[in-house]
Amino acid sequence: MFTEEWKIIESILPFLLEGLWTTIKVSLSAIVVGSLLGGVLGTLRSFRLPVVKHVIGLYLHLFRGSPFLIQLYVFYFVLPELGVPWLEFGSWTASLVALSLYTGCYVTEIVNAAILSVPRGQEEAARSLGMSKLRAMRHVVLPQALRLTIPPMSGVYVIIIKSTAILSVVGISELTRQGEVAILRFPSDILLIYGVVALLYFAFCYPVLRFTDWAENRVGGVRVNLD
Amino acid sequence: MDYIASIYNFRVVGDYLPVFLHGIFATVWISLICLVLSLVFGTGLAGLRMSRIGIVWRTAAAYIQFIRATPLLVQIYLVYYGLPVIFGATGILTEAVSGIVALTLHTTPYMAEIIRAGIQSVDTGQREAAKAVGMNRRQTMGYVVLPQAFANVVPTLLGQTAVLIKDTSLLSIIAVFEVMSSGLQLMSERVMPNEAFLTTAVCYLLIYAVMLVMANVVQRRLGGGVYRPA
Repeated sequence: MFTEEWKIIESILPFLLEGLWTTIKVSLSAIVVGSLLGGVLGTLRSFRLPVVKHVIGLYLHLFRGSPFLIQLYVFYFVLPELGVPWLEFGSWTASLVALSLYTGCYVTEIVNAAILSVPRGQEEAARSLGMSKLRAMRHVVLPQALRLTIPPMSGVYVIIIKSTAILSVVGISELTRQGEVAILRFPSDILLIYGVVALLYFAFCYPVLRFTDWAENRVGGVRVNLD
Repeated sequence: MDYIASIYNFRVVGDYLPVFLHGIFATVWISLICLVLSLVFGTGLAGLRMSRIGIVWRTAAAYIQFIRATPLLVQIYLVYYGLPVIFGATGILTEAVSGIVALTLHTTPYMAEIIRAGIQSVDTGQREAAKAVGMNRRQTMGYVVLPQAFANVVPTLLGQTAVLIKDTSLLSIIAVFEVMSSGLQLMSERVMPNEAFLTTAVCYLLIYAVMLVMANVVQRRLGGGVYRPA
């Protein structure tokens, strides 16, 4: 009954899986770079240093206030026009930089919220034992705060995986783009192909989503408005 | 001054101001329609999700999880190419209609989850009290539980609305006219990426600023609900 469909799926699946692999690689690199960036910025933000506070605030507002699509366009089309040689990104660099900065803005909020949710008494106790501000942060506050970031971080990971679909508009051959290429080969089976693409995304994201829900019940974690 | 003009030409942007204003207008309209629809359907879906009948809540949960675990872009493509297959290629199915259907299908589950959290945040005592004064199930829901549930989650709903507004940008990919498309129009007619995309970004940031002010006003008016995530 579905032999025709099976044949099509069989012939496009290798390409789609290749696209899925690219999606995994891109999203993993973005989450690693973004987490490092967000970890540093989130910690810095909790110190409430005079100028730094406002710079980080501006970064958060800019990246939360605009859609990822426009951020991608700015990194891909606008920056190379400024005439600064090292800003002349190709599609890969532009995608990775944009996605990492986008991830970083979520992670900054989460890390900052987690640090704030550790009771102040913890830091005061560490300080009264003679620890410096930085040591108290590193040995007392951060270890407690990082545990709380696990559930929201995996939520962010799902958002990032889904955002990689947008990278298809600048020609990164990830899963959605591979689907579009497959449609060029089988133009009459658009729905079938996008259906398979959707299922592949689902197979990748659903376990992470379940983990998020489980971890939220288990660890509790900080609640951050992810918008 | 010359350097600034070489990077960002204000005159060209001035010429395109009506296009951008039209785009902002379209974005706000599309977002409003999707917001209203997804709140209505979201309330219904939340009800189905909390049903005690196995097949009903399982179906609702499956729909919610499917939407949460797949990218909006793929959902837009599925709706855009899928609607004509289901309803035939009639003239009613313009890009804008497909876009609104896709965004509503996408936003409804998120709204449903928020509303469900709101309903669960209302104390059981409220329900019992309503029952004690002789209200039936519908009256209890309509007059007692839902008003409190919505009041409790207004800040979260506003946050989700901000996401919805940002999500409308993806509709430019299926040629729906909104702010992003006005930027793309400038780009394709004049090939000036800086003017096109920076102006679009500013438009979105303006809408975001208005949303922030609104959120502050609402927060102060409501004095913060019982249920306060974040």
